[in-house]
Amino acid sequence: MTDQIREQLSALLDGELPRDEMGLLMRRLDKDSELRRTFGSYALIGETLRAPGGRIAAPSFAARVSAAIDEATPIVEKTSTTRRGDAIQASRHVTLWKRPMVRTGLAAGAAAAAVLLFRPDVTPVAEIAATPANTFAMSASPTPAQSQRLASYMVAHSQYSTPMVRRNVLSSLLAADPGITRVSYEMGEAP
Amino acid sequence: MKSREPGDDAVGLPAGTEQSDLELVRRAQQNERGAFDLLVLKYQHKVIKLVARLLRDPTEAEDVAQEAFVKAYRALGSFRGDSAFYTWLYRIAVNTARNSIASRQRRPLDYEAELSESEQNNVEARLKHDDTPEATVLSEEIRVTVNQAIEQLPEDLRTAIVLREVEGLSYEEIAAAMDCPVGTVRSRIFRAREAIDRALKPLLD
Repeated sequence: MTDQIREQLSALLDGELPRDEMGLLMRRLDKDSELRRTFGSYALIGETLRAPGGRIAAPSFAARVSAAIDEATPIVEKTSTTRRGDAIQASRHVTLWKRPMVRTGLAAGAAAAAVLLFRPDVTPVAEIAATPANTFAMSASPTPAQSQRLASYMVAHSQYSTPMVRRNVLSSLLAADPGITRVSYEMGEAP
Repeated sequence: MKSREPGDDAVGLPAGTEQSDLELVRRAQQNERGAFDLLVLKYQHKVIKLVARLLRDPTEAEDVAQEAFVKAYRALGSFRGDSAFYTWLYRIAVNTARNSIASRQRRPLDYEAELSESEQNNVEARLKHDDTPEATVLSEEIRVTVNQAIEQLPEDLRTAIVLREVEGLSYEEIAAAMDCPVGTVRSRIFRAREAIDRALKPLLD
């Protein structure tokens, strides 16, 4: 930082710097924190001479403001940028929201299908759907042996799945098989 | 000639400041962030001083002042230059302080504080405005250091900086008063600032 540049800075503070010298100085200011500190100090000197006393800003204040502004929207093309930004944000939001839900849904569906297919005495899903008495088939209480097998499945499944997936599978099973409630409860009570 | 309103603090700013500010605002409006950073550096002390007096809670003055600057930046697109930049910023800072008080159900605004600039020439008056002891001590040290540094300046530098900062004269007016070229005035003011900055630096680091 040469004397010439600091002299330009002093003139800038006073509104006495020719416009053609301003662009280069501004670019230097962007890169040079010591130059910005000097500008702040020159401003403080004037402020102290004109209105001594009172609170002054902490040395880090301007940097904090700058960081807070970095989170703000640029002024130029504010509307279009905001709309574009909102759209991007919204799309990102949907995508982020969708991803785990889709994965969870797929995992839960596959798990529920697997559970039903594991039950040899139960009619395959496609046939159940086609049977008029499918409500009865789904809500029939399993035998203790079946419940035990389902419980074993739950334990095995829980080792390879996330809590959300486990919760979804459990919900599916509870909806499909009230007998599981007792088994799950007993598992929860076990030490 | 722009009309001035009561409480317009831009009245006390030196000549050329408004024009310089408008140029910085114009650049900031074109997304030149560095230009707004300079406006923050230029007015940070003034705004914090104002907000601290309004809030009567100096510990939160910086947070509220920061909020005011961020609001100003976001609203910069609507600034048309009908008033001086500092007048506009001053209103934003006052409104932000008011909102802060209202939202936190603090003590009411001390409107008299805006009128008591002259009171601030002694330490007791500053303490009356609820400044923290640390801030008061630092402020006093800065005042003493700046005054001592000015006293030690060669007469031509001292005259130039006082005419500029205290009397608010333009370089051209100072050149006429000191019977020297404008370039010499620019150099003298710069050298005076450099000397004072060297004295201040240990206090602010």
